[in-house]
Amino acid sequence: MPRSVPVLHTPPPNTGSTQYIQPVPCRLLRNIRRQNNWPRHTTADGTHKRTRIRMNTVTVSTSVKQSLMMSRRANRMQRLGQMLGQAFLFSITSLSAIAVLFIFVFITRDAIPFFMPDAGSFNWSNIRQFFTETAWYPSARPGQFGALSLFYGSAMVTLGAVLVAVPLGISAAVCLSDVLPFSLRQIVKPVIEILAAIPSVAYGFFALVVFAPLLQNSGGSVLAFGFWLVALPVMGIACMLAGETVGARFSETRRRAAALTATACLGGASLALLWLIGRELSGMSISSGANAFNVSIILGIMALPTVVSVSEDALQAVGRELREGSYALGATRAETIIKTVMPAAISGILAAVILGVMRAIGETMVVWMASGNAAQIPSPFYNFMEPVRTLTATIAGDMGEADHVTGSSRYHVLFALALALLAFSFIMNLVSEAIVRRSRKKLGK
Amino acid sequence: MNLHTRKLLDRSFTAAGFFAIVMMACALILILYPIISRGLGAYIFRATCEHRRVQFEEFQAGSRQEIEREAAEIAAVRQPVFDMIAAHEKDLKAELQEAFDQVRALAAAEGGFLQRSLERRLKRAHADASLEECLAVLSDIRESLKGQYDHERFIGVIGVITERKQRVEQAAGKLSDMKHALRDLLGPLPGDRRPELLRSHYGQTRWDRSLHYLDKFLYRYDWDYTNAENTGVKTRTPRADEFRGTDLEPAFGYVRDNIEAMMQPRLTFYWRFLTTDSRDAHFFGGIWPEVLGTFYLTIGAMLFAIPMGVIAAIYLCEYARPTKTVSLLRSCMSTLAGVPSIVFGLFGLAFFLNTVGVSDSKSVLAGSLTLALMILPTVIRASEEAILAVPFTYKEAALGLGAGRWRTVLTVILPAALPGILTGIVISMGRAAGETAPIIFTAAVSVGLAISPLQALDSPTPALPWNIYNLCTEHEAVDEIRHVQFGMVFTLVALVLALNIIAIALRARISRKLRG
Amino acid sequence: MKRMFKKIANCTAAAIAATVMVGTVYAGETIVMDGSTTVGPLAKAFAEFYMRQNPGVNITVAESGSGNGAKSIINKTCQVANMSRFMKDTEFKAAADAGVMPVAHVVALDGLPILVHPSNPVRNLTVAQVRQIFTGQITNWKQVGGPDLGIVCVSRDTNSGTYECFNELVMNKEKISDRAEYVGSNGAIRQRVQSTPAAIGYAGLAFVDDTVKALTINGIAPTAANVRDGSYPIARPLFMFTDGYPKLGSHLQRLVTLCLTEEGNSLIKETGFIATTDY
Repeated sequence: MPRSVPVLHTPPPNTGSTQYIQPVPCRLLRNIRRQNNWPRHTTADGTHKRTRIRMNTVTVSTSVKQSLMMSRRANRMQRLGQMLGQAFLFSITSLSAIAVLFIFVFITRDAIPFFMPDAGSFNWSNIRQFFTETAWYPSARPGQFGALSLFYGSAMVTLGAVLVAVPLGISAAVCLSDVLPFSLRQIVKPVIEILAAIPSVAYGFFALVVFAPLLQNSGGSVLAFGFWLVALPVMGIACMLAGETVGARFSETRRRAAALTATACLGGASLALLWLIGRELSGMSISSGANAFNVSIILGIMALPTVVSVSEDALQAVGRELREGSYALGATRAETIIKTVMPAAISGILAAVILGVMRAIGETMVVWMASGNAAQIPSPFYNFMEPVRTLTATIAGDMGEADHVTGSSRYHVLFALALALLAFSFIMNLVSEAIVRRSRKKLGK
Repeated sequence: MNLHTRKLLDRSFTAAGFFAIVMMACALILILYPIISRGLGAYIFRATCEHRRVQFEEFQAGSRQEIEREAAEIAAVRQPVFDMIAAHEKDLKAELQEAFDQVRALAAAEGGFLQRSLERRLKRAHADASLEECLAVLSDIRESLKGQYDHERFIGVIGVITERKQRVEQAAGKLSDMKHALRDLLGPLPGDRRPELLRSHYGQTRWDRSLHYLDKFLYRYDWDYTNAENTGVKTRTPRADEFRGTDLEPAFGYVRDNIEAMMQPRLTFYWRFLTTDSRDAHFFGGIWPEVLGTFYLTIGAMLFAIPMGVIAAIYLCEYARPTKTVSLLRSCMSTLAGVPSIVFGLFGLAFFLNTVGVSDSKSVLAGSLTLALMILPTVIRASEEAILAVPFTYKEAALGLGAGRWRTVLTVILPAALPGILTGIVISMGRAAGETAPIIFTAAVSVGLAISPLQALDSPTPALPWNIYNLCTEHEAVDEIRHVQFGMVFTLVALVLALNIIAIALRARISRKLRG
Repeated sequence: MKRMFKKIANCTAAAIAATVMVGTVYAGETIVMDGSTTVGPLAKAFAEFYMRQNPGVNITVAESGSGNGAKSIINKTCQVANMSRFMKDTEFKAAADAGVMPVAHVVALDGLPILVHPSNPVRNLTVAQVRQIFTGQITNWKQVGGPDLGIVCVSRDTNSGTYECFNELVMNKEKISDRAEYVGSNGAIRQRVQSTPAAIGYAGLAFVDDTVKALTINGIAPTAANVRDGSYPIARPLFMFTDGYPKLGSHLQRLVTLCLTEEGNSLIKETGFIATTDY
């Protein structure tokens, strides 16, 4: 079976592992000598010069010998200094861990009074209301704190963002790691970095000022365009594949013609279908441009860089041997990636998805500005064109009125929301760490 | 599956990858295009003479002669319009004259207390009095006549007053609408009382806004609700129709034809947008306090985050042995990286402000500390990667020459890792500069002067990210200052992108060097 | 590498020196105002006017909500709390506990016009109708004499004094339907209403312009005269709270009583509010 074997264009990135012997720049060695009180000797013309060491000679000047031999006391001092230094370094390092601890403590401390107003006993009705009801009236007296719709809103926009970011992100990562030549990759990478660098408030501004009016004024056309953009290639490929399958049933001579006819017929039918759906969509009008759909798209774009870079790393880490083995067995690039590389990198890709989810769920400004902030579960529940309200936006928006000093449950409920967010991101983090650890073990690194 | 199908699948697989990358690039372009194109509009735009007047009077920019010469030119072009308005007002006042004459005659005939009271009122409607004042005097007189116990006697006069007043009032209402529209376009008209708010001292400073207001001046927009079953329909009628046959009719054509001469639009590069503070809640002026505030917050955050981050990275790479404690530390750090930014804001409020009390009110210091905490994991991770990327041979050589571990780190590893560390630092600077949620409760206010570094310890500051949010959602005239919002977003994005481009360049240098 | 270090050090030093030089120009008393977004435009106008008259005074205005204003003054993190509602009993108690004596200064009056899209033919609603619309009993404009359109309710965020006033004056403690959208500010309400033909919302008088239509309520238009004489039913005073009555002649005192001067009066009128005094 004659076929061309695709060749990996680039070697795996040089991560500076020990297998490559690197020349040491002299300059750096000079640094050491300068500061190490390297012995000097006086030359004939009276200037001081540092003694050269020849590694292959045994003759070392006496001063060097002296400096190399340490007295016991100096040794002890040095060890003490080292210990102190290490302790200092450790304490600085552990500051960030302490910060996490403090964040947990402070958030929990202010969240607890919501769950147990009287010390020591849980207020079950509060808790039940918090998790199962949708009535969010924090300023009513007594307040109603049914946060289910907020959880739902957060989940909804995160799901939307994942739907946007994961397929795009993983295909882009595959393309980056296996398809694009090195030079093109150098062009694409900055695009991803710039996407990651744009501040969230700029995304929010775009969503509110540019995207929301666009959706509201010509939402149908935008939807139809998006639908065509995604569905047309998918349909095209599906038709061609189906045509091929049909063609395979015919004899060698008529195969080509049959495949073409079948593709054309199917293509025509699906085009008509697409046109119908597109027309239906473009007739739709969206009552409010600030809705879950808007936010999902923007959050998806924001989560893209994370998904792409982490999953690309995972794909790269699989290594050349597996790919070459697969190619040698006659697999195409697609087969190699889907059947060999992806399964090996699956945990890394999962970690990428989790990180993307965390980015989307923790985002504040975009959802606060452009999600419509209606504390409701849309009807029907999958209606992305309705405004929703998320946990983060609620914290940012309600904090202004929550009277901290009086310690009302209105204040504490916001900390309860924050605690929920924190717990979620903590768990997600643990999961992704476990996945990464497993993958490392599997890849033997 | 036959070969053909496999090939097809392979190709479509590749195409999907390209599609994703193209989509990503498109998303980037779609998002950046409006921000850049309209954001540049805050710096480069066709500025009218009013803009130059604002600049001169508020910021002492531009030469006096130039401004005065321009003002004279403009006044000459605008004067005919004002004359037409004055003439029209005079006509309307003349229509009221008959009513005044009758009142005067009545006063003369009545004599006594009524005469004195009527004449006192008539005095207020002297020749220079404005139309509104005359109308007010008339209704005053009518009320006082009606208030007389024998008001049946004045029924004739009252009738004349009422009829004239109604006729003129209708015209006066249209006139005041028209004057309002003209005021929006050109600034206060001659004879207006000087307003207190700065925004009403001047006309439109930008040519695009001028055209918008010109349209509003030339046409009256109304809603037609005749079909009650449906929503109203917007109607547009030329304002000139309302003044058909009066002195004012030619004014509309005149303004339309001479608008360029009246506003003198000139393409201007307004770099002061970056370096001056704002006037009248961002109606005029620039964004310097916000830029400076962002600068302080970022530098402050870096001052805390860099030493901590680099030291932690050194410890983790060079000293830490893979113990339980260290792996706990590491997972703490990745947890810290995953904490939502709004939670940092809450923590900053609860810890730095309410518990520790680093300052009395919101302050740059509290904001910087919060931001530092937020970017700490990024700095640590970037520094760690940079340190690990230093070839092991460097270290071996240094140790082989007899350097201690600490000395090796300081003199060999850190310098070699410096570009990498810098890259990480610059990227996290960008993140600190653009983050909003942590500073909402800890540092940001919507109006304030630029502050000095010393004040940064205890005063809050405006900052770009927060003010973008504030201006595009909470400002009372969101549409009027759209260009300022875009300008701010553009400045922030440009700042962050510049930092990132520096980082990319740095990294390119490193990779070049590592490849030899 | 050393050169790079040096360059960076130089740049940093230059930047710090420059900021110090810029910064030292402003050094004087700082007054921090915090609170309602409704009072925001007025507070910003006052602050700018006052800073212009008294160079050397730095006034910062944060618009973070009435509740936040109360919180800040109780925590002594601001000198002036702008509030679009009166302080609650609980807040007073907390203030007393913290040794703060809140003093209210009424700076202006404000009506809460009910806003609809200008294409909406409905001109008048009663308070009861507005309430029913916001509780979700009336869901279509047809029910109040308008076109056949589902009503989109837009409400201020629950953290605003405007929301609480609306709740008090219109809703009569009934709950706003959970289908209502919440937006963070008056400007955002106007934006939502002007871009949505089926919308209804409420905002401060200062935020009404010709892109939205203010309804008459019970037949009474939200004009300055009607608000001042109390005939317009949805109106409220706006407050600035200070800790104790500020020292006579101090900047703080002159700032919060600016509304009583002639200039302050026209500032109030020009920002769209209703002055308590008339010149």
